[in-house]
Amino acid sequence: MASYTIRAAEANDLAGIMELEHACFPTDAWSEKSMREELAAEHTTYLVLAEVTPGEAGYGVVGYAGLSKLSGSEQGDIQTIAVSPDARGKGYGRRLMEELLSVAAGQGATEIFLEVRADNPVAQGLYESLGFKVIDRRRNYYQPDGVDALVMRVALEAAPKLPIVLGIESSCDETGVGIVRGGELLANVISSSMDLHARFGGVVPEVAARAHLEALQPTLRKALAEANVSLEEIDAIAVANGPGLAGALMVGVGAAKALAVGLGKPIYAVNHLVGHVGADVLERGQVEVPTIALLVSGGHTSLLLVNDLLDDVQLLGETIDDAAGEAFDKVARLLGLKYPGGPEIDRAAAEGNPVAIRFPRGLMLPKDMEKHRYDFSFSGLKTAVARWVEVAHDSGAEFSVADVAASFREAVVDILVTKAVNACLAHNVPRLLLGGGVVANRRLREVAAERCAKHGIELRIPEFSLCTDNGAMIAALGAQLVMAGREPSALGFGADSTLPVTTVQTP
Amino acid sequence: MTYILAIDTTAGTSVALLAADRVLAHVHHDSGVKHAELIGEAIAQVFAETGVRANILDAVAVGRGPALFTGLRVGIAAGIMFAEAVGSKLVGAVSHDAIALSLYETDGSLGPAPLLVTTDARRGEVYWALFGGLDAAGLPITLAGPSVGKHAEIVVALNAEHGEVTERTGGATAVWVARLAQRQLAAGIATDEVSALYLRAPDAVPPKPNQQFGKRVSG
Repeated sequence: MASYTIRAAEANDLAGIMELEHACFPTDAWSEKSMREELAAEHTTYLVLAEVTPGEAGYGVVGYAGLSKLSGSEQGDIQTIAVSPDARGKGYGRRLMEELLSVAAGQGATEIFLEVRADNPVAQGLYESLGFKVIDRRRNYYQPDGVDALVMRVALEAAPKLPIVLGIESSCDETGVGIVRGGELLANVISSSMDLHARFGGVVPEVAARAHLEALQPTLRKALAEANVSLEEIDAIAVANGPGLAGALMVGVGAAKALAVGLGKPIYAVNHLVGHVGADVLERGQVEVPTIALLVSGGHTSLLLVNDLLDDVQLLGETIDDAAGEAFDKVARLLGLKYPGGPEIDRAAAEGNPVAIRFPRGLMLPKDMEKHRYDFSFSGLKTAVARWVEVAHDSGAEFSVADVAASFREAVVDILVTKAVNACLAHNVPRLLLGGGVVANRRLREVAAERCAKHGIELRIPEFSLCTDNGAMIAALGAQLVMAGREPSALGFGADSTLPVTTVQTP
Repeated sequence: MTYILAIDTTAGTSVALLAADRVLAHVHHDSGVKHAELIGEAIAQVFAETGVRANILDAVAVGRGPALFTGLRVGIAAGIMFAEAVGSKLVGAVSHDAIALSLYETDGSLGPAPLLVTTDARRGEVYWALFGGLDAAGLPITLAGPSVGKHAEIVVALNAEHGEVTERTGGATAVWVARLAQRQLAAGIATDEVSALYLRAPDAVPPKPNQQFGKRVSG
């Protein structure tokens, strides 16, 4: 069974094209000389529909179509189109036309013209379905048959050139370089210093900052290779300038500024947390708003109300002590588990009973609702686990690490999801977006899915490589700013470890 | 003619553009803070002032310290990325070597005694290096260091080993980082090693086992 492919015409397609030309237009075929000149001309684009037969090297031309558009002109013409009778009725004519129209739009054309025989209603129908309208009739245009030509025209949406943006992320222990074209992910390379922090049981800011400096150049080069773009093709640089660890952020900021100045390209200083929300652009093409966003990592636990990604992001609440990821790390340590604690507790909890021990839920009491309705506190929970383990130890009784891990995890997840769902309900927002490294926690995803389903809330969890800290989300947010026509940031911005989420872009 | 951009954030924020030995532009902020804020404009300014196009650079030179970490990293990160952006060579320079070169070239009061260059390392310590003049290529000859330690102890130890040393304290500027790099390039000994000379380990202590929270939380 043959299959068909559309590709650019090559010089050695001429014979196949001419054969089809004579078959399709027996009375007024172009000469071989004219066709050769058409194929070779600077201002034309010819595509062929080729038959690919498995096991055979050769191609058979079963269709072709050509566009003429002079550079600098906003008008183009469809020169010809033909599809061999046995390949007709399968939508290939339409695909050839669509490809040519998209080529024309890419070359800056805003209107395309064509002529069609007045006695060919099938072709007219195809063109009409593509948006062409008859604007003129030329009497006796086709000779020797004496058939009129209908002149048709379609207006093209000038396809905006999508900006290629390179994003740099260095707010904590991941050096991230991401590259996007508009809302399309081209590369997302992350170099983590997590292993270096393991013996300290938590992220050491100075260790993280040193690792960023060493990872910058290799991470950049890897991202460019992955995206298959050169630095010259980058249209703008985006960098996370806060919130995060100051010394770590400064490495990214210094690097991004030098890159922007060296390339002569604009720079956008963007908010790291809003970047987590912006990551969804890369999977959905946009962030549907309004949405509640729950961002949970080793450094942050924040609940955001996003009415507009670029203009209206509000902080509903955040942790008043430890971040959720930090609580996982600390409890893992006291249970004798490794760093980072999240995956270790997840593993240990798999065999445990989540309701074995009722650990306290911080800031969940009615009295907390006035001041801390959407804030989080995990310090008391961590201490409660420590006390429980000490008492169990002192009593000499055997206890199940799995039960402690499962019960602790259940408490953290319960707090996170309860507050996030409450925020959705209170603000009448039918969407919840999760972000941050703790999203890797299986139980968090399960409980969020269950409770969102129960309340008719749509749950969005981007792919994990876009949830954890990464440069692609920074690039994505930067690209949204570029496409919205925002001014770049002035070069004098600094790193702000406590940058509020209301500052999506530092001006 | 060799065009070189030098960046040094070991003391202030210093950026210079040189053609061979000639300074075309030099932006220098003395303050030892706000490196991340200042670095972008400083680099942009040396090109704007001179009209030199960044893509004709032969090399980007960066001061590697030793110096206080946070500011130091900003300059090195910027230097690495600028070299990537314009596709030029990267040269790493020990900042104390650049200070020594500037002193040998400009301080007429220096005698034949070994030159001790010190800079503030906080915590009652100094970053230091000891030099014994310039070699045939015009480059400072390092006798000891760079290192970090208590000032008084270092002076006593160096005097005992090298005879009476002459001490100068100061900060590096990008101009002399550039000149040092120029001479290293000319002598064929320039290196693209730009890792930061921290000389101190991060202040972090792994937690002791069985004492996870420092103290028990219950009786």
